[in-house]
Amino acid sequence: MTEIPLIEPEAERSVGTSVRRKEDYRFLIGRGHYVSDLQLPRMRHVAFLRSPLAHARITSVDVSSALEATFVDAVFTGGVEPFKSVTLIAQSALPSYIETAQPILAWEKVRFSGEAIAAVVAGDRYLAEDGAELIEVEYERLSPNVTAWSTPEEPLHSEAPDNVLLERRFLSGDVESALANAEIVVERKLTTNRHGGNPLECRAGVALFEPGDGTLQFWSGTQVPHIVRNALAELLGMSEAKIRVVAPDVGGGFGTKAALYPEDVALCLIARQMPGVPVKWVEDRAEHLLAATHARDHRYLLTAGFASDGTLLALRADVTCNVGAYSVYPWTAGIEPLMAGGLLSGPYRLENYDCTVRAVATNTSPSGPYRGVARPASVFAMETIMDEGARRLGMSTIDIRRKNLIGPKDIPYKMPSRLVDDSGHYERCLDRALELFDLEDFLREQKRRKENNEPPIGFGVACYNELTGLGRAASAGPRMPFRTGHDACTVKINPDGAVTVFSGVTSQGQGLETTVAQIVADAIGVNYDDVEVHIGNTDESLWGFGAFSSRQAVIGGGAAQLSALAVKEKVINLASKLLEIDGIDLTLRNGEVRVVGELAPRFSLAELARIAYLESNRLPNGIEPGLEATRFYDPIRGAFAAGVQLGSLEFDKKTGEIRILKWVCVEDAGRVINPRIVEGQIAGAIAQGIGGAMYEHLIYDDDGNLSTGTFMDYLIPTSAEIPEMVIDHIECPADNPLGVRGVGEGGTLGPNAVVAGAVADALGILVDQLPVTEGTIWEGSR
Amino acid sequence: MKPAPFDYVVAASADEAVQYLAEVEDGTAKIIAGGQSLVPLLALRLARPSLLVDINRIPGLATIESLSKTSIRIGALVSHRMLCEQTTSPLLSEAASWIGHTAIRTRGTIGGSLAHSDPAAELPVVAVAAGMSVEVVSPSGKRTISAEDLFVSTLENSLADDEMIVAVDAPLPERWGFAEYARRHGDFGLVTVAVAEVGGKIRIAIGGVGNKPVRALESEALVNDATSLDTQLTERAARAAASAVTPNGDFHGSASYRTGLVEELVGRALRQLALSRLSAMENWS
Ligand SMILES: Cc1cc2nc3c(=O)[nH]c(=O)nc-3n(C[C@H](O)[C@H](O)[C@H](O)COP(=O)(O)OP(=O)(O)OC[C@H]3O[C@@H](n4cnc5c(N)ncnc54)[C@H](O)[C@@H]3O)c2cc1C
Repeated sequence: MTEIPLIEPEAERSVGTSVRRKEDYRFLIGRGHYVSDLQLPRMRHVAFLRSPLAHARITSVDVSSALEATFVDAVFTGGVEPFKSVTLIAQSALPSYIETAQPILAWEKVRFSGEAIAAVVAGDRYLAEDGAELIEVEYERLSPNVTAWSTPEEPLHSEAPDNVLLERRFLSGDVESALANAEIVVERKLTTNRHGGNPLECRAGVALFEPGDGTLQFWSGTQVPHIVRNALAELLGMSEAKIRVVAPDVGGGFGTKAALYPEDVALCLIARQMPGVPVKWVEDRAEHLLAATHARDHRYLLTAGFASDGTLLALRADVTCNVGAYSVYPWTAGIEPLMAGGLLSGPYRLENYDCTVRAVATNTSPSGPYRGVARPASVFAMETIMDEGARRLGMSTIDIRRKNLIGPKDIPYKMPSRLVDDSGHYERCLDRALELFDLEDFLREQKRRKENNEPPIGFGVACYNELTGLGRAASAGPRMPFRTGHDACTVKINPDGAVTVFSGVTSQGQGLETTVAQIVADAIGVNYDDVEVHIGNTDESLWGFGAFSSRQAVIGGGAAQLSALAVKEKVINLASKLLEIDGIDLTLRNGEVRVVGELAPRFSLAELARIAYLESNRLPNGIEPGLEATRFYDPIRGAFAAGVQLGSLEFDKKTGEIRILKWVCVEDAGRVINPRIVEGQIAGAIAQGIGGAMYEHLIYDDDGNLSTGTFMDYLIPTSAEIPEMVIDHIECPADNPLGVRGVGEGGTLGPNAVVAGAVADALGILVDQLPVTEGTIWEGSR
Repeated sequence: MKPAPFDYVVAASADEAVQYLAEVEDGTAKIIAGGQSLVPLLALRLARPSLLVDINRIPGLATIESLSKTSIRIGALVSHRMLCEQTTSPLLSEAASWIGHTAIRTRGTIGGSLAHSDPAAELPVVAVAAGMSVEVVSPSGKRTISAEDLFVSTLENSLADDEMIVAVDAPLPERWGFAEYARRHGDFGLVTVAVAEVGGKIRIAIGGVGNKPVRALESEALVNDATSLDTQLTERAARAAASAVTPNGDFHGSASYRTGLVEELVGRALRQLALSRLSAMENWS
């Protein structure tokens, strides 16, 4: 049999395959460019003097000895200009929100231990730290308060005498009567543990004010360079055109680097005071634990009613979030409480909902966005209610969830917080997870162990939804003076036919250069290797909000897709005019333009690009030179991503040791762009979630000292603590150009609930407090 | 997190090293060996020595010698990794494998670990259980200090400012057991227990429950008085050890939890010791 030749060669598709990541080669050979690597002529180094006290009035700051030291170039304090008049004020239009100001360098009062008071500039970091030691600060101690649910003796901000910065009630249906009609009413009081992002690379910045043209350059390990530029322009009274923010390679972020910090602004102010001198600050781990944003320090008071068949009838919740000393800029103190209240009911149908959330300031480091924002805690709360309901009704923890999960037929489902769920694929995730987990096998083993008096095992389950890629109408957040629904992307075909992309996305290790290149390659019809992606530079890309809320694949990816398609249209249009053939009859694949039905290409993209840029004599009438397009994308709504995690854990009652035997996660990523990247995101997020569930805890003593100030005491799980995971997907395309759903954060949402569920299943210990440690197990087993 | 200024010299011999130490009158000179404990303290400015005396290039301190059939002499610069890899003392090899991670074991030294006197560290506990002693030199001569006399309190030893450990004399136990519980792989143990039978006498040392390794004397008496180490006796000895300790609680574990760990781990270590006799007898028969 003779083979019939293909009329057209198959297009090489990149989306959906685990192409080699563009970033990895330079990372692997040690040629990544991090802010910490940046060396510039005349560069000086900054060290911050930080408050040892949690709450105090500053009565004097004496910098004279530091200034006298020959090795010190300059010392800056907050009480004098230009620092004095610059403050960070996160804004929100929510009626109950109380605006408070965060100084760049504290000068009237310190509100948490670790707050920066002065900055010392010297030839290297050692000398800068020596200089900082020479500064003498006198304090008048004020009574500190580190817990959000105890009455403060001395408020942090005079604007908020009770320390409450925001309170909001979510109300739907009639909780009172639903509870009265419930078969059972369960009540739980839960607290979750403060912890934080802890990226491998801590915060870092280099600022340089160029006196020649009055420009400010700020290299920053930020997740949000455009937001930073916008804010700096306003805070420094400069034109945005005069500010360039560059986020080069960034070694992890997890939300911690999505805020604009006082230290960032301080560096830029210092740079303006020292024209022509680049000033560098690289945060060390002790500073990071002390003064980068924390998260997840919450208390949930919950009352829920169930019908006898397990139907969830009502939920009343009072959620208090410890937001630390300041309202994080620009996200506000509302970021965690509003997310907690907006998504508490998660993937479950619920009509009657009465939830009050509040943000309470305390003398601790400000809380901010951290991967999963509030939901690792709120999912723990909701799943605890489900487990408790099942226990009380004598149902299985799986059945009670099935009873209540939002299903495809409910879509679009308006949650009681009025967010609209477009997914409904929870049960599919659950089915697949149970299949991979092999529940029958687990139950047999559990029984066998019980009979033989062997170490008990338990299993826990978490069902959750992650609100990803929020468009302008899907705001779950604090009504800030900006909406983060859109991103821009510019796609340019160069004169040689290769493609350069200037995308508004940023990457802290998630491989966005790769993902964006895959999208653009397929959309135009060129090879992945012919696409270069530039990100993280406000002078290069038009606009992008950056990395948070699992938004970039959806929004930045959508913009890449739209701009690539627009460029492709230009290419086809040019070819069509040149060939005098209707564009509908032309295809562009693998960098070649063909007439449909013909085997031989008529043009290579390089030929067309050459004409577009270099041979205007050949340009048809009405076609402008160049091949370039810029498009914005806003999904308007968001894409809910369903997820389910199951784990089995083994417990040693004698030592309290917890061993994770199995971990299964099934998520709906919509259409998967790069399977390996997606799995990496999920695995890493689960690992961080396990860290939060069992190890990571930022603990303050009553005086407001951070007790867990180094990695000796703040325990991050290592590869030895993290189990092998089984990760699988269901692919239900979302309603956006690529059909994708975000996957950056979902993994963090499950572990608290899975671990707590397994503890209850194996040992009957009800977890009210996170993290779950060997101490929890040992003491609970007495 | 950068050290305060200090001077630095490299010593070519132990005599030279202690000479350097003696020359700094206020006792603010410090030896640096693997640096795995000292450098973090420097970085946090919790230690502010005026002079660091680097002993890493002194020849002959990184070897293990056999003194007799029943003891070995370990040079002060022998790394934790070398202890893991040697086979003469399985107790030391087991204990060293619990220290930190590969990089730390590669740099950290036995002399440094004992001098550092961290009550939660593995080697001090083993040193007390096995009745080790350290050989110390100073400009005025040599002396030998038993492990128990070396450890004074948390991060405090009985060395004079101008003394340096050059070697550790380590008896080889006939039988031994080691048990530790740490929150993560590689962490300092919440509780660490070493038991060793040397010259027919069993000694039990516990780390993490006081300001230095603690011996469980009552438990020792129980097991040494008995003819066989059966289950019941092991349990009694473990309970006695637990009731003899008064650990402090912190956020890594309450005092009662740590006491519970002592009971469990002393039991485990003693069972391991007892089993090692069984297997020895099996080999023999
Ligand atoms: C991340 C991490 C994890 C760790 N985990 C563990 C663990 O689980 N268990 C554990 O036991 N240890 C642990 N350690 C500490 C490690 O074992 C150190 O190696 C050891 O405590 C000190 O040995 P060193 O050679 O590094 O000494 P150095 O740090 O160089 O010195 C420590 C102290 O001993 C003094 N000193 C050193 N040598 C001598 C000598 N010959 N004579 C007199 N004084 C001397 C020094 O002056 C200094 O005061 C860990 C360290 C790190 C960084």
